[in-house]
Amino acid sequence: MQDEMAESVKSYFQRLTPMCFSLLLILLSYIPLNFILSSNIRPAVGLVCVYYWIIHRPDIFNLFSVSILGILEDILSSVPMGTNLFSLLVLYMLLLNLGRFFNGKPFIVTWYGFAILSFLTLICKWLVVSIYYSQFLPFVPVMFSYCFSVAAYPILSLLNAFVQNYLIQDEA
Amino acid sequence: MKRRRSLFIHLSYIRILAKKFAIVILFLTAFALMLLNKTESVILEKTSSLATDLVSPIVDLLVVPARAIASVYDYFGEIKEVYKDNQNLREENKKLLNLYDKMKVLEVENKLLANLLNYVSPPEARYITARIIAEEGDAFSHSVIAYTGNSNAIKKGQVALSDRGVVGRIDKVGNMYSKILLITDINSRIPVMVEKNRVRGILAGDNTSIPKMVFIPLDAELNIGDRIITSGVAGVFPSGLPVGQIASVEKNNVTVKPYSNLNSLEYVRIVDYGLEGIITNE
Repeated sequence: MQDEMAESVKSYFQRLTPMCFSLLLILLSYIPLNFILSSNIRPAVGLVCVYYWIIHRPDIFNLFSVSILGILEDILSSVPMGTNLFSLLVLYMLLLNLGRFFNGKPFIVTWYGFAILSFLTLICKWLVVSIYYSQFLPFVPVMFSYCFSVAAYPILSLLNAFVQNYLIQDEA
Repeated sequence: MKRRRSLFIHLSYIRILAKKFAIVILFLTAFALMLLNKTESVILEKTSSLATDLVSPIVDLLVVPARAIASVYDYFGEIKEVYKDNQNLREENKKLLNLYDKMKVLEVENKLLANLLNYVSPPEARYITARIIAEEGDAFSHSVIAYTGNSNAIKKGQVALSDRGVVGRIDKVGNMYSKILLITDINSRIPVMVEKNRVRGILAGDNTSIPKMVFIPLDAELNIGDRIITSGVAGVFPSGLPVGQIASVEKNNVTVKPYSNLNSLEYVRIVDYGLEGIITNE
């Protein structure tokens, strides 16, 4: 009986691990860097985490996790409330339809997939925020942020892969 | 057997429908939040401030080890510069002592002349020093979160200054943490003027590191390096606070480089000048 209970608690913990780790990475991305270009080179950690986990473990990282990450980013940032939730949902929708092309493929293919899908997501976000402010936001910082997110993907996915391999076991 | 199979198919169909329905609901929620934000709803503002208050302590906790690592790195990096800095500071101190004497004389003279003219001086400022615990800077917004403690003196719209000049204004006030909108954010609009010829304009952030000065008279004479200070128009910011200097002057495009290094803010002074201006909490 106790074993069963321990097993179910463990399984529950494992199901929450990707979301909790993604939350931690997002919170860490808001730490002051005191770096000369830090106002423009922060990677879109939320996008990386959603992409990684939906591609690798869609069974434990679902729509609920995506919404929680989006809401947390909305709370921390100064963009209009709902914008980050919107962008993560766009990525989720894209992954629902295109994710199968990147699942189980070599790393370079998934990286390439992230480059494409995060570009589309950031363009959607840029358009929505531009409509909200009734003026086009400068496009160069968006591209700068995009390039840095793509460049940071290997490191962030490595961290996520570590969690996936050591903290989460495949269900038999 | 057949019945059970059809029930299973029905259930999976309902599940797919529910999933699609949930996505639609969440998209609608996101748009509803944006619309509410646009209407500057008080409820959303209070909820957002409360949420910031709940989340910020976690970031605050994570900052401690990060700061410790950074300070060790800085220590070894700066140790080489100490001797040179010390000499420069001695020179600077001599100049400042001279300036201090002159300032004291001018202060007395100013007071006497103000009394002579029955001049009503602006209210005295109150300062609150706050530590920056989180910074956000990407293509979509520029802001920081500061630990302001359990202070009732913090109000929306108050000026945030660094040791060099204006960095932004209070955007959201929580119980312990407040969000400061930086002058580079797209929402930031500050009435400013050129110090030497008093040409007025508005400093408008555009999410780049160099904000623009707009609504300048066509015949205004502007030069690169001119000091930009707050003009005090609209009553939100007091006049005379240093903001930055003109970085480029082109046709229809004047950019201003802020004095404050907005990428490495550690502490800010939140200043209460007792000015209500056009920004209120209600």
